[in-house]
Amino acid sequence: MPTSAASNHSGRPEDLIGRLNSTHTPYEAKLKALRDLKNQIIGNRTKKQVFLKLGAVPSVVSILSAASSEDSAQGGGGDNREFRDSMLIQSAAAIGSFACGLDAGVKAVLDAGAFSLLFSLISHLNEKVADAGARSLKLIYQSKLAPKYDFLQEKNMEFLLYLLNSKNENVSGLAASIITHSCQTTVEQLALSEAGVIKRLVSLLGGSLIQRDASLESLAAVVKENSEVASKFMGPENGRALNVVIELMKDKYPRTRLLACMCLICTRNTSSSYLRDSGIQNKLVLVLLELLDDPGQVGDEAPFVLSSLITEKEDMQKIAFDENVVDKLCEHLRAGTFQAKRLQGLFLALGDLCSKLECCRDRVIELQVLNFVTEALAHDSAEVRGAACTCLKNVSRSVKKLSAGQFMNEAVAVPLVQLLCDTSTSVQVAALGAISNVVVDFMPHKSLFIQCGGVKQLVQLSKSMESAIRVNAVWALKNLTFLVNNKCKDEIFSELTSTTLISLLSDPEASVQEQAFALIRNLVDGSLYSIEYVFGEDGLLLHAIGKQLRSTSQIDVQIQVMYTLSNVASGNECHKEAVMNQLLPQAGNDTETLLIKFLQSTDSRLRTATIWALINLTFPSSPGTSSRVTELKNAGIISQLKNMDNDPCLDVKLRAKMALGQLMMFGDAST
Amino acid sequence: MPVRVVDNSSPSQVSGTTPGNALPQPCTLLSVGQAFSGTQNVSSLQKDEAWRVNVKIQGCDLDHGYLCGTMEALNVPMADTPVVTFWEGEIVDTKNYTFFTGKWGATEEDDIKHWTKFPSFLPLLSQVEADGGKSLDLSNYPYIFMRWKEQYFVNVGTDCGLTIAGFYYVCFSCSDGSINGFYYDPNSSPFQKLELKSTNDGRLGFSFSSYELQ
Repeated sequence: MPTSAASNHSGRPEDLIGRLNSTHTPYEAKLKALRDLKNQIIGNRTKKQVFLKLGAVPSVVSILSAASSEDSAQGGGGDNREFRDSMLIQSAAAIGSFACGLDAGVKAVLDAGAFSLLFSLISHLNEKVADAGARSLKLIYQSKLAPKYDFLQEKNMEFLLYLLNSKNENVSGLAASIITHSCQTTVEQLALSEAGVIKRLVSLLGGSLIQRDASLESLAAVVKENSEVASKFMGPENGRALNVVIELMKDKYPRTRLLACMCLICTRNTSSSYLRDSGIQNKLVLVLLELLDDPGQVGDEAPFVLSSLITEKEDMQKIAFDENVVDKLCEHLRAGTFQAKRLQGLFLALGDLCSKLECCRDRVIELQVLNFVTEALAHDSAEVRGAACTCLKNVSRSVKKLSAGQFMNEAVAVPLVQLLCDTSTSVQVAALGAISNVVVDFMPHKSLFIQCGGVKQLVQLSKSMESAIRVNAVWALKNLTFLVNNKCKDEIFSELTSTTLISLLSDPEASVQEQAFALIRNLVDGSLYSIEYVFGEDGLLLHAIGKQLRSTSQIDVQIQVMYTLSNVASGNECHKEAVMNQLLPQAGNDTETLLIKFLQSTDSRLRTATIWALINLTFPSSPGTSSRVTELKNAGIISQLKNMDNDPCLDVKLRAKMALGQLMMFGDAST
Repeated sequence: MPVRVVDNSSPSQVSGTTPGNALPQPCTLLSVGQAFSGTQNVSSLQKDEAWRVNVKIQGCDLDHGYLCGTMEALNVPMADTPVVTFWEGEIVDTKNYTFFTGKWGATEEDDIKHWTKFPSFLPLLSQVEADGGKSLDLSNYPYIFMRWKEQYFVNVGTDCGLTIAGFYYVCFSCSDGSINGFYYDPNSSPFQKLELKSTNDGRLGFSFSSYELQ
């Protein structure tokens, strides 16, 4: 009986690698080993990882390299040529398979130097070899790890056009994949457009399935956020290309439908006039809704595409709401157990819907989806945790719900506070965004957040090295301090300390300074007792405020400084005098003109804040007002206020009148 | 106490401008955190009665003509505690909302009947009668007209024996922050007057807090 070949050529990974690496393995056996390897790893992630660990990729790449060198050295024909071509095809296919859907595989392939070898196969005379090379490269280009293709080099652009014009669908498809992967800047978009790429991509829309999908995806990349390029896509032949894409929204393949939507949305988002026809708008929503049902990759990607359609666009959010998108997304969340990616997309799309419209937030609450959101705050995937925070942030953008104390409970506060220690910075920032909203809570529940250790964490994060974390942490503290009771204020202040606050007031980032001043502004609001926070430790904090008043040139910071001082000046005589000393410290000093400078600011908010401080300093029933009025008159305030009688801002005009009225109660106001 | 500024604006300042009007300018006295107190007259033929009322502004979105806050009624006869309600306001900016309510059981006649009770509305009357006030530019007018509609009870159940079925026609003075209003509910005594003044929490001056949603 003949023995089976398998007994000699075991399928064990180690043996396979051995055969690939051995110089004694006959060519036929090597080719067979390559085929075996390819068949074992196709679609099998575990097997891929096993072979990766055993160093299979460098072995395959060296076979490809050897076959390529022989090929270019010997040329010729006959069996030998046929055999070498088979080696090239099988090794290229195995390399592509390693790179498919596995970043570690892509990395190994790139490290082993396969990239340029595969590119050299594309111009091979044997179309099957060129095809195999193109397929492999396409798979590599699906990964973020693939090197960026430099379109701006002339020879690269020529080569790209050569690929794009190829009759081989895998080669032209590869060109489209290169564009999708590498076209990121406006300059690159314009260069591609000028080279005639759009016209060629549009013609590929009429090609095979592979060409169509690849073309839709690269068209989206080329027009994205670029109105100039988009107009070249929209314009010619009365929008013929556009109509082709619109038709493809009805294609029988879900992936084609998804990519057609993506391409249309990218075009739509470049201008306020494109694709505003209500028929198409509704159609986009409906097609994407239906694609959410796809169990595979298309269904995973659909919510992200939906999100790009509705984000920041209230009109589209309304259309989506009317098409019951909130209900549908919630149904999907209820169905449970998805890939992390799909869950992330569902939360993002739901978050987008709730960013502006109260009716969407109402529906989310009604459908009790908040439980899923809070559950997802503890998900294994950082992307899901971040998306859940974003969703919660947008749902809690409702004053009506905050007023009802809807969010400040342990189920929400505890996991949110835990996320402040998350290992991912973007999750921390997203959690801070949600916390900033949730702590606005108008019911007396703010103490719950403090009990959960929230203030301690926020204060810690206000000292972070990352400015995005610092600004958001102080923002959350500011919102927490808004209309909070004295007991909570004491707790917040004792955790914060004057020292931390002072360093925040002079933070390198102006946005952090602005939030820190607004925080102090809220701290000293409310009962008279609160003003004392800035007077502790010999008025350390008040001096720091005064110092910043004189040194900052940022209008947004100046506005908050003036409201802080104005709030302090609404206190008793002693408080007013202290503010007066900061605003007009001594005669002959440059600061003297600071008030005038602020009153002449081009920003009406700064003018308003400054006049409020003046109104509080000259409040009629306070005993020392008379002497302050004299000082202010000497500083030229009255004539300045009189000039503001016709201020373009109504609030400034009315406040100036009010201040003048008070100043005039004290003798001659002609100066 | 703030000094009342004499209003010298004339109707010519507000009428006859182009459509597509500018929104009202922000007014610090009507910003979030601001508090007001006063009374609501609930007198009827049988009794003469006024409830003390406190109002706090919690949200303001001028782009959407939206304002909201709470209203606390202090000496309500049938309640043991002060009754707090949450209300939402429509700002008459002639873009998001006009003087005509078009809902809540109020006819155009009811609207005119109530708005004309505010002296500051009279200069606008003819234009409102002509086109509902659509061509008025109120962005520089020192009064802001609104409708406040209570949405829910914050601290008591719906079984408290009180109703929030009606709504308020409101006029806010940007000059001194005073608020006047008339409650409208076909089933309650007509023209219950709400009178509120800006309060300052025992301070000798005005204090402003703020929050920003992300």
